[in-house]
Amino acid sequence: MKTTVPVIIAFLSGLVMIISFFFSSDTGFIGRLEPEILSWVTIVGGFTLLLGVVSIVRVNYSTVKRRKEGWGYKLATLISVFVIAIPAIIPPSWSSIFGVRPGSIYDWLFNYLDAPMMSTMFAMLAFYIASAAFRAFRARTTEATLLLATAVLVMLWRVPIGELALKNIHPGIPELINTYVMNGANMAVQRGIIIGAALGAAAMSLRIMLGIERTYMGK
Amino acid sequence: MRIVNILKERYITAAIFSAFLLIIVFSPALLADTTIVSDDTSTSRSAIDSASAVITSTGSETPEMATSNFRTDRLNALVFMVLFSIVILIYTQWAKSGKEMFVRKINGLDEVEEAVGRATEMGKPVLFIPGLQELDEIETIAGISILGRVARITARYGTPLLVPVRYPLVLAAGQEVVEQAYIESGNPDGYNKDMVRYVAGEQFAYTATVNGIMMRERPATNIYMGAFFAESLLLAETGNAAGSIQIAGTAQPAQLPFFVAACDYTLMGEELYAASAYLSREPLLLGGLKGQDWMKILLVILIIVGILLISIGYGDWYIALFTSV
Amino acid sequence: MIWLILAYVLLALAGIFLLYLTFRTGDRRFIYLAVAFYVIFPVLLTLNLPTEISPEVRQLYEAVEALPDSAVVMLTFDYYASTLAETEPMSRAALHHLFRKHCKIVTMTTIPLGGPSISERVTRDLAEEYGKTYGIDYVNLGYKANYVAVLKGMGSSIEAIYPTDNSGTPLAEIPMMSHIKNYQDVDFIYVVADNGIVDYWMSIVNAQYQIGVGSGVTAVMAPKFYAYLSSGQMTGMLGGMKGAADYEQLVHHHGTATKGMAAQSLVHLFIILSVVAGNIIFFMERKKRGGGLQR
Repeated sequence: MKTTVPVIIAFLSGLVMIISFFFSSDTGFIGRLEPEILSWVTIVGGFTLLLGVVSIVRVNYSTVKRRKEGWGYKLATLISVFVIAIPAIIPPSWSSIFGVRPGSIYDWLFNYLDAPMMSTMFAMLAFYIASAAFRAFRARTTEATLLLATAVLVMLWRVPIGELALKNIHPGIPELINTYVMNGANMAVQRGIIIGAALGAAAMSLRIMLGIERTYMGK
Repeated sequence: MRIVNILKERYITAAIFSAFLLIIVFSPALLADTTIVSDDTSTSRSAIDSASAVITSTGSETPEMATSNFRTDRLNALVFMVLFSIVILIYTQWAKSGKEMFVRKINGLDEVEEAVGRATEMGKPVLFIPGLQELDEIETIAGISILGRVARITARYGTPLLVPVRYPLVLAAGQEVVEQAYIESGNPDGYNKDMVRYVAGEQFAYTATVNGIMMRERPATNIYMGAFFAESLLLAETGNAAGSIQIAGTAQPAQLPFFVAACDYTLMGEELYAASAYLSREPLLLGGLKGQDWMKILLVILIIVGILLISIGYGDWYIALFTSV
Repeated sequence: MIWLILAYVLLALAGIFLLYLTFRTGDRRFIYLAVAFYVIFPVLLTLNLPTEISPEVRQLYEAVEALPDSAVVMLTFDYYASTLAETEPMSRAALHHLFRKHCKIVTMTTIPLGGPSISERVTRDLAEEYGKTYGIDYVNLGYKANYVAVLKGMGSSIEAIYPTDNSGTPLAEIPMMSHIKNYQDVDFIYVVADNGIVDYWMSIVNAQYQIGVGSGVTAVMAPKFYAYLSSGQMTGMLGGMKGAADYEQLVHHHGTATKGMAAQSLVHLFIILSVVAGNIIFFMERKKRGGGLQR
C-alpha cells in the first residue's frame, strides 16, 4: 500500500499531463488540465516552504544552544532569516516599508545586501576558472591538446584585443571561428548532448510513471 | 549478414522501425491538411530557411488546429512517444525474461564505492549534492535515486553522509530515501535526520554554505549528481582545494566543461539518468536503458535520411514532419 | 598612450611573476591576486576598446530595427542579481533601442528573487532618460509563480495571468494594455536571461505562437543556443558581456559592457597565459620523469 499508492498517483498524474499536451487548452476541458495541475503543483509547493524553514531553524538552533564551533555564524543565519522574512510577509497596507514592493525593507535589503553578495559569489568564478586553468588544463592526450588549442582561439576571439590580434594574422580568422567552431563543432556537440539527455529524461520519466524506477521513494 | 541477424533476433523492433519509416514515407499525404504554410517563402531560400519561415512567420493565417480540440500539429510527437514507449517496454520485457544486457563501462560510477571506501579509511564524511533544482525536475529525481544507492554504501561502511539541499521537497525526499537505505542495509541506528539538511533557497547562498561545509568538514569524497548551474565551478574548485575526490554528473551542457576540468570523474548528460540502472544492475532498469539506446539509433538514422533528402532538394516535407510541436 | 602600453607590459610581467610564485609555493591565491589586478586596473583606466560586431548580435539589432515604430515588444528580465554584470547591460541597451524606436514595452520576469526590483529599477532609469510615461509607453507586469503556466497562459490572455501590474494597478486601468490582450498583440519578444527559461520561451512561445524571439544570455549559456540560431527559431542572440558590448556599440550607447571589455580582455589573456604556463611546467616535469605523449 505504501508503495502502490504513490506509484498509482505518479502514473495517473503523468498520464493526465501527457494526454493534456495533445489537446488544445483554449477549447477543451482536457487541454486545460495541464495548466490547472501546474497551478496545483505551485500551491502545494508553497506549503512545503515551511519544511525548509523548520529544518534551517532546527539545525542552526541546536548549534547555537550548545555553543558549538561557529555558533555566532549560525545565530547570524537565524536572525537573517527572520529579519528579511517578517517585513516581507506583513501586508504593505500597514506601511509602505512592509511587503516586497520598491521602497520596502525587503527591497532595500535585497538591493543593498543580497544583490551585491550574489554578484560577488558569481564574480568568484573568474578567480576559480583562472586557478582551474593553471592546475587542470593539461595537454595529456592529442584530443586534450586539440581542445586546449580551440579553447585558446575562442578565448581570443571573444575579446577585442584578441580579435585584433587574430585579424592581424589573417582577417578571416574570426569568421572562421564563428562558422566552424561555434556554428559547427560546438553546435553539433551541444545538439548531441541535448538529444541524449532529453531521451534519458524521457526514459526515466517513463520508468517512474510505470513504477519500474522507485529509488526516489526510497524503495 | 550481421544486420540480417540483428533483424531476425529483434524482429519486433525491426517491425516497428519499418512501420515508422513507412509513416515517414507516406506522411506528406497524411499531413497535407495540417501543415502551416507561409505565403512569403521565396524560391531562392534553402529548405531550412523555408522551414524557419514556417516556424517564425508572424503574419500568417490562424492555424486550423486552434479551433479543434485535438492538436493535430502534435501528431508527430504522439507517434514518437508511442514508439518510444513500445521500444522501452519491449526491452524491459526482454530483460525480465533473463536476456543479458550489455552496458558499457562508466568509470565515474565504478569509482563511487571506491570513493566511499576512501572516505571510510580517512574517517571523513561523504558529501552528496543532488543538484540545485526542485524535485519535479527529472535531474533531481535522478540525483535522489543515486543518493539512495550511495546511502546504502555509506550505511554498510558506517561512513558519515552529508546531504545539503536547496529545496524543502528535496529535503523530504532525501530524508526518506536515506532513511530507507540505512534500514535496508541493516544499519538503522546509523541514520541521523540531520544528514540531509536544508541550507538555503538561493543559489549562491546555498553555494556559500556548501563551500563552508567543505572547508570545515573536509569531506574525503564529494559527489555531485543533478542539475547544476553557475555554482558548479565554485563547488568543484572548493572541493578540490579541500582535497576531496570528486565525482560529478549533470545533464546541463554548459556546466560539463567545468566539472570535467575540476572533478576526477564526470558523468555526461544521459549517463546521469543511466546511473540508477548501472549501479543497481536491475534487469528492468537495464532493459529501459537499452530501449533508449535503440531510439537514439533511430534518431541518428532519421537525421542522416534528412541530411540526404535536403541535400538533393526534397527535404521540405521531411522537415515539416518534425516541426509545429 | 606610451604610458598605457608600459602599464600593460608591467601587468603582463607581474602576471608571469605571480604564476611563478604559484608554481613554487603551490598557493593558488597568487593567481587570484593576478586576476584582481587585471580586473581593477582597466576599470580604473576606463579604456574603451572597439569590438567587431558578431553576426548574431547584428541579426538581433536588425530584427528590432525592422520593427515598425510603436511596435509592442515584450522585454523579459529573467535573470538573477548574480549575473547583473553581464545581463543588465543587455537590458539597458535593449531599452535604449526600443525607447528610441518609440516601441511599447511590456516588461515581465519569471525570477521571484529580485526580478521585479531589477526590472522596475532599470526600466524606470531609462524611461526617465527618454521622457517615457508609465502606462502609456511601458508597463511592468512583475512576477507570477509557475513560469510554464505563465508563458502558456499569456497566449490566451495576459490579464488572466497578470490581473494587476507590479504596483497593483489593474491592467484594465492601464491605457497601453487596452489593446494588448495576448501574444497575438505582441510583435517581438526580447528575452534577457541567465537560466534555462530561454528553452521554454522557444518551445512554448516561439514554436506555438510563431512570434519572433531574440535573446540575451550569459556567455556560459550562449554556445547552447547556436542550435536555435542556426535553425532560425531564434532571431539573434547577445552572448555574454561581448554581445552586450556589441549591442551597445550598435545603439551608440557605451555602457558598462563596453567598459568591461578591457578587463575581460586582460583576464582572458591571463587565463591563456596560465594554461600555457601550466602546460610548460607539465611537459618539463614529464620530461624529467621520462614520459611521452599519451595516445
